[in-house]
Amino acid sequence: MATETDHSPGEAVAARIERRWATLSIVIVGVLVGMAAFIGIHQATMPQGRVEIADPKTLHLSGEFTESNLGSEMAADGSVTVRAIGQQYSFTPQCIVVPADTPINLRATSADVVHGFLIEGTNINTMLVPGYITDLPVRFKAPGDHVMPCQEFCGIGHQGMWGKVKVVDKTAFRDMAAAKRRLTCVD
Amino acid sequence: MSDHPLFSTRNPWFGISVGITAGVAVLSAVVGLIWLPLLQPHLQLTGVWDAICSAAGVPRAAVQETAVKPDFKTSNVVMTSEMLTKADQVSIGRGATLAQRCAICHGPQGVSDAHSPNLAGQFAAVTYKELNDFKTGARVSVVMSPFAAAMSDQDMKDVAAYYAYLPRVPSNNLDTGRPAPAVVVTGAPMRNIPPCGSCHGDIDNKAGSPWLGGQSVVYIKAQLEAFASGARRNDISQQMRNIARQMTAEEIDQVAHYYEAQP
Ligand SMILES: [Cu+2]
Repeated sequence: MATETDHSPGEAVAARIERRWATLSIVIVGVLVGMAAFIGIHQATMPQGRVEIADPKTLHLSGEFTESNLGSEMAADGSVTVRAIGQQYSFTPQCIVVPADTPINLRATSADVVHGFLIEGTNINTMLVPGYITDLPVRFKAPGDHVMPCQEFCGIGHQGMWGKVKVVDKTAFRDMAAAKRRLTCVD
Repeated sequence: MSDHPLFSTRNPWFGISVGITAGVAVLSAVVGLIWLPLLQPHLQLTGVWDAICSAAGVPRAAVQETAVKPDFKTSNVVMTSEMLTKADQVSIGRGATLAQRCAICHGPQGVSDAHSPNLAGQFAAVTYKELNDFKTGARVSVVMSPFAAAMSDQDMKDVAAYYAYLPRVPSNNLDTGRPAPAVVVTGAPMRNIPPCGSCHGDIDNKAGSPWLGGQSVVYIKAQLEAFASGARRNDISQQMRNIARQMTAEEIDQVAHYYEAQP
C-alpha cells in the first residue's frame, strides 16, 4: 500500500505535465469546435442546413424543377428564390438574373451526373448531386456579370458547360418581376 | 496509487477526463444540432426536433410549392441510359409489320431521300421518345402527329426496336474524307457549346440524343433552327435549345453538311 510519503518528486512532476497536456488537448478541441461554428455562421463555409431529395429522372415531369418553374422568383417579402438544374452539358436557365443586395435562396439539382456549381467572383462554390437539392442562402453585393462554370468533370463535353449570372439593380429586378413570375436572362 | 484500477470512478484522472470529454461532446452536439440550425431563419425550422433531424441529414422530399405550369406541352418521357437497349425478336417482328406504314417517308429500309429522318440503326430510345412526344403533342408535325396519335406505347417500342435493328445505311452524299468542323470536334466552350459528338454518339451517347450520321442536311438544319428559335421544345429541360441558341447560322450549316456526309 502506497502512502503519501512514498510519492517521489518525479510522480508529482508527471501528474502536473499530464494535467497540462490534458488541458491543452481540451482547449484544441474547443477551438476547433468554435472555429467550425464561427465559419459556419459567417458563411466562410456554407454547410447545408437540410437534406432534400428529388428524383433526377423525373425533374421535368413535376415539382419545382420543371422547365417553366426554373429561374428567379420574387416572394412577397422581397426575397428571391432561384431554381436551376445542371445537366450534360448545360445549366438551365442558361442565364440567371438576380437583384443586388437582396437575400437570395439558390436551389439547384442535377438531372444526370454530379456537376459543379461555381459563381466566379463570389464564394459560391458547391456541387449539384443527382438525387439531392443544393440549397444556398446567398447575397450579391453589386450589379455585374459573373460566369458560372461547371467545375466538376461531368463527361466528355464538360469544358463546354457553363452559364451566366447577371446581377441587376434591385428596382430594375422588381420591375421585371412584376411583369413575369419566373425570370431568366436567356436571349 | 499503482494499486488502484485505472478504469474506476475512484480514479480522479479517469473521472475527470471522461467527464470533460463527454461534456465537450454534448456541448458540440447542442451547438451543431440545435443552436446553429436555429440561427438560420431561412431554414424555417419548426422546432428543436426538426433542427436536430435537419442537421443530422435526415432526407426529406422537396417542399411542394405552387410551381408555375408550362403553357406548352413538354416531353413526359423518363429517359435512362438503359432504356430500350435490350430488344427481343418478337418486338422487332411486330415493329417490322407496323413500320410498313412509315416506309412512304422513311424508306422501306429506314432510309430515304425525302428529307425525313433516316431511322435505320437509330437508337431505339430516340425513336421511341420522338414518337411519344409526337403523340403527347410535345413535338408537333403535320405529318407525324396523326400517325403517332394512333399508336400504343407498345407499338412505339416495337417500331423503335425494329429501326434500331436495321443496319445503318450511308446517304448518297457519303464523304468520310470531309473535315470535321470545329464545333463538332471541340464545340465552342466559350459559348456553352460542347462537342456534338459528346452526346450524339461519335464520342459518347447521352440517352435520347439521336445518331446524326447520314441525316439529310435539310432536316438537321431545320431542327437546329427550330431549337434555336424555340419552335421545337420537346428536348427535356432545354438540353438542346441551350446549345442551338448559341450556334451561329454558319455553324448550323457546317454541322448539317458534315453529318450528312457521315456514315
Ligand atoms: Cu457539368
